[in-house]
Amino acid sequence: MSKRLSAEERRDSIIEVAKRLFAEKGFHGVSIDEIVKQVGVSPSILYRHFSSKEALYEAVLHEFSATRESYVETVVDDDTCFETVLRGMTRVFVNSIVSQPELLKMEMHSQLEGNSAAQDFFINRWKSFTDYIEYNLAELQNQGKIKPVNVQAAALIYQGMVRELLLLKCLQKTDRLNNKSIDELVDQMISLFMQMIY
Amino acid sequence: MSFDAELDAKGLNCPLPILRAKKAIAALNPGQVLKIVATDPGSVKDFEAFCKQTGNELVSSAEAGGAFEFMIKKS
Repeated sequence: MSKRLSAEERRDSIIEVAKRLFAEKGFHGVSIDEIVKQVGVSPSILYRHFSSKEALYEAVLHEFSATRESYVETVVDDDTCFETVLRGMTRVFVNSIVSQPELLKMEMHSQLEGNSAAQDFFINRWKSFTDYIEYNLAELQNQGKIKPVNVQAAALIYQGMVRELLLLKCLQKTDRLNNKSIDELVDQMISLFMQMIY
Repeated sequence: MSFDAELDAKGLNCPLPILRAKKAIAALNPGQVLKIVATDPGSVKDFEAFCKQTGNELVSSAEAGGAFEFMIKKS
C-alpha cells in the first residue's frame, strides 16, 4: 500500500520536481501539466499549494534563499586583508553553487527570459561580492595602495570571472582544465585579479 | 538604549556589514556598545554567528521598517 503524503511532503515534492524542470528548461519551457505529470498529482492539488506557475517559481527561488552562503567564518579570522577574505568568500560561494547546479542553470535561463523577480534574486546573491569588492577597492585606492580603477567595473569583471569558472565546472561537458579543481582555479583567478589591481 | 558608536550598513550585503562592524568594535573599549543598522535579511543570522564566534555580546536584535538594528557590546 502506498503511503499517503502529508500536505507539506506533497508541497516539497512539487518544489523538487519544479526546481529540476525549471533548471533544465527555464520558466517558459515548463508547463504546469508537465510538472503535475512528473509529480504524479492532479493540477488541482498543485493549485491548492501554488496559485500559479509564477508563484511556484518564486517558491523555488525562496527554497534557494535558505541556502544562501554565510561568509561569517571568512571574516572573523584575524587576517582580514582584501585578498584573503576574497579568496575565502569565493571558495564558499563556488562550492555552494557546485553542490546545487540547478541554481546556476535557473540563473542562466532567467538572463535570457528577462524574468525580473529571478534577476533581482540572482543579482542579490552576487551582491555580497560586488559590495565587498567595491568598498574595499575604494578604501585601498584612497590609501594609495592600488592603481586608480573603476571599482564598479572591477567588481563586475570579478563576478564575470567567477561565473565563467562555474559554467565550466557545472554546465560544460568538456575536457578543458579538467585536471584543475575549482579551488585551484579560484586561486589562479585571484592571483590574476590581484596583479591587475596592484 | 545608549551606545558609544554607530555603523550605518544599510544597502550592503553580508559579509561587508560584519567586516565593518568588526573594525568598529576593534576601536571600542571593553563594555562599550556599537549600534549597527543594516537592511540585508541575512545579517540577522550573520550577526548572531559573529557574536557567538567572537565572544562579543549581542545585546539586542530588532527589525523596524525594513531595517535591522543590532546592539553589540564589546567583551
